[in-house]
Amino acid sequence: MNSGPATPPGTFAWPRAFFARYGAGLGASVLVLVGFWILALVLVPQLAMADFSFRPNLPPTEQGGPRDVYTLEHYEYLVRGGAGGEGEYNTVDLAVLGRTLLAALFVAAVDLAICYPIAFLLAQSAHGGFARLMMVLLVVPFWLNEILRAFAFRILFGTSGLVNDVLLGVGAVEEPMDFFRDNVALYSGLTYAFVLLMVFPLYNALEHLDKSQIEAARDMGASWLRVHWRVVIPFAKPGISSGCAMVFMLSAGALATPQILGGPSSLWFTQIIYQWFNTGNNWPRGSAYAIALLISALVLVLVAMRVFKVRLRDLGK
Amino acid sequence: MTSTRFAGIFLTAFVVLFFCYLLGPLVVMAVTAFNSSAFPRVAPFECFSVEWFGVLANDVRLVDGLANSVYIGIGVVLLSVPIGMAGALFLTRIPDRAKPWYYTVAVSPILIPGVVLGISTLVFWDRLGRMFGAGDESVFYDGMFLTIVGQTTFVAAYCLLVFMARLQRFDATQEEAALDLGATPGQSFRKVLLPFLKPAIASSGVLAFLASFENYNTTVFTSLTQETLVTVVASKVRHGINPSISALAVAIVALTLAGAVVYEILRRREAGTGAKAAAGRNVVSSKLGNPALALFLLVCVAGIGTVYFAGTVGVEECKATVQAEKRRRAQERIDALEKTLQDGAASAAPEAPANPGETIFAPRNLQPATRRPTDEAAPTQGEGRQTNNPFSPDDLAPNGDSPGGQTSGQTGD
Repeated sequence: MNSGPATPPGTFAWPRAFFARYGAGLGASVLVLVGFWILALVLVPQLAMADFSFRPNLPPTEQGGPRDVYTLEHYEYLVRGGAGGEGEYNTVDLAVLGRTLLAALFVAAVDLAICYPIAFLLAQSAHGGFARLMMVLLVVPFWLNEILRAFAFRILFGTSGLVNDVLLGVGAVEEPMDFFRDNVALYSGLTYAFVLLMVFPLYNALEHLDKSQIEAARDMGASWLRVHWRVVIPFAKPGISSGCAMVFMLSAGALATPQILGGPSSLWFTQIIYQWFNTGNNWPRGSAYAIALLISALVLVLVAMRVFKVRLRDLGK
Repeated sequence: MTSTRFAGIFLTAFVVLFFCYLLGPLVVMAVTAFNSSAFPRVAPFECFSVEWFGVLANDVRLVDGLANSVYIGIGVVLLSVPIGMAGALFLTRIPDRAKPWYYTVAVSPILIPGVVLGISTLVFWDRLGRMFGAGDESVFYDGMFLTIVGQTTFVAAYCLLVFMARLQRFDATQEEAALDLGATPGQSFRKVLLPFLKPAIASSGVLAFLASFENYNTTVFTSLTQETLVTVVASKVRHGINPSISALAVAIVALTLAGAVVYEILRRREAGTGAKAAAGRNVVSSKLGNPALALFLLVCVAGIGTVYFAGTVGVEECKATVQAEKRRRAQERIDALEKTLQDGAASAAPEAPANPGETIFAPRNLQPATRRPTDEAAPTQGEGRQTNNPFSPDDLAPNGDSPGGQTSGQTGD
């Protein structure tokens, strides 16, 4: 980004410098591509969805007609429930939203706990062939998509799956356990799905940590725990926060894994959104639910960043 | 000293456990792909068979989905690589104050849940189409187009990150030198910047294709009536599982592995060819004579041949043996049951038939057999459960929690 002294100080001078560097044709195509992406793919669709979520669910012929007015009915439905439930709260959907966000936090925490040692090892003490082998082994499971990985867990955790066979074999349980109903399968599947997304930001951050810092702390008599707490973790904070933010957002927004591994009685919030679009045939309400998910997840991330004193620009590094 | 050693042992154990967690499910799945049992399982490994790969290849829905996935992937690559490159170039040329804002907006699609991106794409193009009064056949309601556009939203952000990483190492004075020496901006782009960005173009292209190929959350909303490989697999898995899905996973890992190895060999050879060409050697002979590539191909062919041979020859006999064994075991079970029933009747205890042999068998297993104690009916019943049509849904549900499957799993070889 610091590519030379060519950026002039004035705000309105930069387009001229931009076209001077890239020429009319190339400069215009860069602008068109970026404009198309940012406007037509990123910003306006989000705004369209937000707008749509404030409109009643009308058949196509009536859209834009006199009944197409702004309304809060879909958000009201999420909070208050359907008609007749006045004064009550829509406990079912709100509970699902709360549980989804909590479970996503839990998944991010578990991923951080299991990936931190691996990333530290990979960045600080593994060398040559061993490090390369670890890298390959880390990446191989992610050649498969989310669905096939969830499928593997379904085989593993089935009533006659390997886990139950082993548990029954060693006599730990009498009856095969139902891992799906207890959401054990779902949580392990989600944790598994985002391991790589946690390892790489951590690894990137830890790779730049100067070993002599650790050695200095050790020489001063700090215990390993203290070295990590006072030296390594503060240094890796940007990596930790971007890893956690990504894992949290992606598991809160996961759809395939909960569809495949979720218990029959516990829904993930994305599944409710999916239902409004598919079987419920109420797109505005689905949009409203999607926005509720997006905003509540974003708010949680921003609050966590404020609490842990992480700046937005540190994410994604 | 001891504490460091203890920590070392602990860390080693942790690494081993971690990789077991990472690779164990895949190994289990791979094994089930070669097991002839109609329910994907490892424990009673019945016969080594490649039949599930055949089922896979003959599945029209899956093959159509694969074709759609490839088209969409190509479309996404063609759209998101240029966008990612333009986005990265744009970032280097805007005022410093605007950079964080632009960066936040550009990278946000990575953090936004895929479901939300899919919905917003769907809603946006639907409204746009309505604004233009477009019909259902128009591009605004075309699943392929919508999927390409929807996936490009976030895939372009991945590409942007790849290009940014590469551009950070770019020496801008090269470009300035070209411009100073009289090159037009276009020439300096083509001759200086583009060659420098070539590796980033290649890797972001591969990344974009893979990200598109394996996407589900966005695609499931935008694809409308179209199906991609991933949505087909998802609906199959949701409606009941069978080993052909495992076979698909094995095929994907094998193909990717082969692709990675070939890529690595080609890359090394390219590096080597330069040196050889400089030494005046014939390029063709070096192509044919590359021992590593030849060896790799040989090993692949031999491996696939062996697996295919082992998985097709003798499978029928093996299956027959397994079936006979199952029939025998079912018969034994029925005999034992009848004996218990008779004993119960002999002792004239009224509660005895209610739960006879509970210590030996799961209680639910008893009911069908007690209802049909005749010698002929029972074996077929026991056998039918194991060898149902793999696609019939009721094969999967009962197997999932069938105590019969459990018992045979426990007492099995």
